Amino acid sequence: MKKSFSVKIDPFLFFLVLLLVTIGLFAVYSATQTQETEQFNLFNKQLFFAFLGLIVILFTAYIPFKVFEKIAIPFYFFSLLLLVFVYIFGTKGQGITRWLSFGSIKIQPAEIAKLATILMVAKYLSNKEVNINRLKNLGITLLIILTPFILIAKQPDLGTSLVFLALLIPILFWANLNWFTMFVIVAPIFTMILSFNFYAFLVWMLIISFILFISHRKTLILVVVFFFHILVGMVTPQLWGQLKPYQQKRISTFANPESDPKGAGYQIIQSKVAIGSGGIWGKGYMEGSQTQLRFLPAQHTDFIFSVIGEEKGLVGVIFTLIIFLLLLLYLLYLGSIVKSPFASLSIVGVTTVLLSHIVVNVGMTVGLAPVTGLPLPFISYGGSFLLSTLLMIAVINNFSVNRFEV
Amino acid sequence: MDFSKSSLAIKRWIYTSLILLFFIILIFGFIQLQVSNKDVYVLKSLNNSIRKSQLYAVRGLIFDSKGKIVVDNRPSFSLAIIPRVAKPYTIKDICNRFHLDYTKVKQELKKTFGFRPIVVARDISQESVIWLEENRLNLPGIINVIEPKRYYAPGVKSPHIFGYVGEVTQNEQKQNPEYEQGDLIGKKGLEKKYDMRLRGSKGVKFLTVDASGRELGKLDINRDIPPVHGNDLQLCLDYEQQAFAESLMTEINGALVAVDTKTGGILALVSKPDYDPRNLSGKISSDVWSQLLNNENHPLYDRALQNGYPPGSTFKMVPATAALQENIITPNWKASCPGYFRLGRKVIHCWNLKGHGTLNLTQAIKYSCNVYFLQLGLKIGLETWSKYSELYGFGRKTGIDLPGENKGLVPSVEYFDKRYGKNGWTKGNLANLAIGQGELLITPLQIAQYAMIIANKGTYYTPHLVKHFYDYKTQSFENYPIIEKRVNEISTEVYDVIRNGMKEVVEGGTGWLGKVPGIEMAGKTGTAENPHGEPHAWFMAFAPYDDPEIAISVIIENGGHGGATAAPIARKFLEKYFFGHLIPRVFAKPDSNTVEEKKDSLILPMDIINIQPLKIIPQKEIHNQ
Repeated sequence: MKKSFSVKIDPFLFFLVLLLVTIGLFAVYSATQTQETEQFNLFNKQLFFAFLGLIVILFTAYIPFKVFEKIAIPFYFFSLLLLVFVYIFGTKGQGITRWLSFGSIKIQPAEIAKLATILMVAKYLSNKEVNINRLKNLGITLLIILTPFILIAKQPDLGTSLVFLALLIPILFWANLNWFTMFVIVAPIFTMILSFNFYAFLVWMLIISFILFISHRKTLILVVVFFFHILVGMVTPQLWGQLKPYQQKRISTFANPESDPKGAGYQIIQSKVAIGSGGIWGKGYMEGSQTQLRFLPAQHTDFIFSVIGEEKGLVGVIFTLIIFLLLLLYLLYLGSIVKSPFASLSIVGVTTVLLSHIVVNVGMTVGLAPVTGLPLPFISYGGSFLLSTLLMIAVINNFSVNRFEV
Repeated sequence: MDFSKSSLAIKRWIYTSLILLFFIILIFGFIQLQVSNKDVYVLKSLNNSIRKSQLYAVRGLIFDSKGKIVVDNRPSFSLAIIPRVAKPYTIKDICNRFHLDYTKVKQELKKTFGFRPIVVARDISQESVIWLEENRLNLPGIINVIEPKRYYAPGVKSPHIFGYVGEVTQNEQKQNPEYEQGDLIGKKGLEKKYDMRLRGSKGVKFLTVDASGRELGKLDINRDIPPVHGNDLQLCLDYEQQAFAESLMTEINGALVAVDTKTGGILALVSKPDYDPRNLSGKISSDVWSQLLNNENHPLYDRALQNGYPPGSTFKMVPATAALQENIITPNWKASCPGYFRLGRKVIHCWNLKGHGTLNLTQAIKYSCNVYFLQLGLKIGLETWSKYSELYGFGRKTGIDLPGENKGLVPSVEYFDKRYGKNGWTKGNLANLAIGQGELLITPLQIAQYAMIIANKGTYYTPHLVKHFYDYKTQSFENYPIIEKRVNEISTEVYDVIRNGMKEVVEGGTGWLGKVPGIEMAGKTGTAENPHGEPHAWFMAFAPYDDPEIAISVIIENGGHGGATAAPIARKFLEKYFFGHLIPRVFAKPDSNTVEEKKDSLILPMDIINIQPLKIIPQKEIHNQ
């Protein structure tokens, strides 16, 4: 629209993000206060990446809208290549290979893969020739999303890989997948969960039978779907046995953290104690005893929200959550007003990634979700993660300022 | 794909409701924690970051009667591990360095979880403390804690009085629920008897700690509870006198008990051999401990009140009292001693094989004539004998304020019936008892009490070491209650006769070596047969004769004749007590010592009125069977 050298920025989006990043910086400052020598180091690093990210947002706005569509495919394959590289050259951290090192710079390819996969799947589905309700096109869509999922799950990084699974459903939904196929894709998740209890499983299979019956599809398909669920129900308990013990522990102690107060349950208990003791008004900034005395594990990364809960109380929690909520709803609004289907799908993809991070991370701090090691967008310490999150925002900002382009 | 505006709007609202649902669930979760259950978590968070640290009270000091500190406290360093923080390999390293059993230490650590330091080695060396401090950063969770340990003033020994302190055992914890794991408690002696007084009460200090257990500082001084210093004890004895008594008993197996006849206060209590209490203060090395346990002379055993001995001739005042009080004889009743006594088919010899001739009661006591008392014993019978033994306090505890007292044994008719059958025992048993032999077990402390009863003509006091306590809580002294008792069944006239006999003992009788020049006193020797070698030598005395203030009993195991070995020790003790120094002996050579006196003892003093020869070879008092 405006031709001249004006600042291309979505002010509302930028304001919300700036607010969240600021909250994050304050929280990181408080959470790292006890690491005497490290504090300024960690805080300055985070500050640096925050500035870098904001600059990236400003500059990305000037990239022509079309470029994103064009680079989507090479970017996707490049990110897959990086994920493969992790296996070959990866740096080990706590027995898990997630990082690639280039000199002193370490990157986490899984972060890049998120955006790359979103753009790739958006690019593919926005193609006029592609109809998601055709089996071939659906298959390719699944392939695009599940390839990075498997590569990341193998690292192993269960938390991040599950983000890709979460990405799948809203994208397919947004791309108008018919409800029956959607059901066929989503139902197995419930089957897996319910397979641990025989009676719940039985009831669930009755519900499936009913839905299949009213769907009026070909009998062969119905039979295949039905037996697939039976199979899933039988295999899941076996697969559970295949999980690494620490993964099992994380999921089972989520249900009952007191069962292992010294080990896996420790983090959840300490986080709940921190948040619960914060009360409505909180203990005051830099005054949280759980935080300042370092009872909270990973308090500047995964459990940063517990710091907010302890020091700022319920008021701070609701304030932060409302900003997150506004951001997500605004993104959805953008997704429904942009002209380009590619942009719309990308925005929904980013929204979903952010939503799953927020819900899992915040849910984890209050014991509503298992400890999966997903950081909180904009707030958690971590340069690579902050930068990749801001990069996603940068792309959306570009889409927002170019919302009338196709 | 269909990208119409209407379908987008529907999808947007579906997705929006989903997001809203998620957020409502999350906020509900926070409300539950921060509003509904806030109090629970506030408490948990406080418990998390506040460590209740116990402050040990200073154990009460022990003073002697002159106010000199004899038992005190000094800091000692202990090695402690904070279980939550210490890494297994660090613990292993430490175990190797300090020669600890790794599996044992691990078990100990498993008993508690958290940040409370567990002491694993006590009283570590100065070098070890320095090493720990230097390597502090490499040894997370390993700290040294200062614990008080007992300190004994130079020259102070007396382990049988003071006892020692040690770590509480699980058994002791069960008996006294006030004891907590790791507490140091009195195990023996005064430390055990007065543990509840000496230990004081622990205080509590609240400290803020971080997750690694590091102490960050005090929380709030007003919430802290200061510890209360344990009660101080002041003893009745002058430690100089006690130390002197111990020096008299050097290299002797035996005991010495001196008691204040006006209060029952213990003026000296010696049991030899003993050990250095310093060896049992702080860390007890297993070598030292097993040496003490396995030593054939049993230094851990308090002979003064735990060991029952046959009393020998010191017991002769019991049949004498019984016979007089029951009007079986008058003081002038005479018996003749030809040097032996025929009892049925047995012949029992007097210690003086040539015989004492004809004696009255006073002379019989003075020369300790066995034949006289054998005859007297047969006259009074066992029942009366038992009754009077008990009147003199034998066969029951004196009630001294030390743990583990032995009540000894005074056989009664029932006892003999049980032991030998209704008619299984003979006059021989009775005759034996009359001269303090046979199945009769008496502690040196009981003999001292017996001397006190005779000295006070029936009045006596429960023996006790402690004169008073100082309570730091009320900041006041509390006197040990002096308990006066009286033997009413024995008349003053009887005591007068007995006392006169005992006075004669030291005035040229068998106990002449026990006489302190310039002090009128009374005493009695004893030479107790025992199956293990030489007889035990006894001497008991009280002084001054008219207004007694001290009673003493001395036993020397396998010491031979009581008058020869035990009496001189009692005399020296009394000389020190009355004059503060030893009095040169006119009879002895200038460089006299105990060895010399043993020779001297073969010669009776010159002023003897007896017709007996001057030189006698000491014999065993009886030749029974």
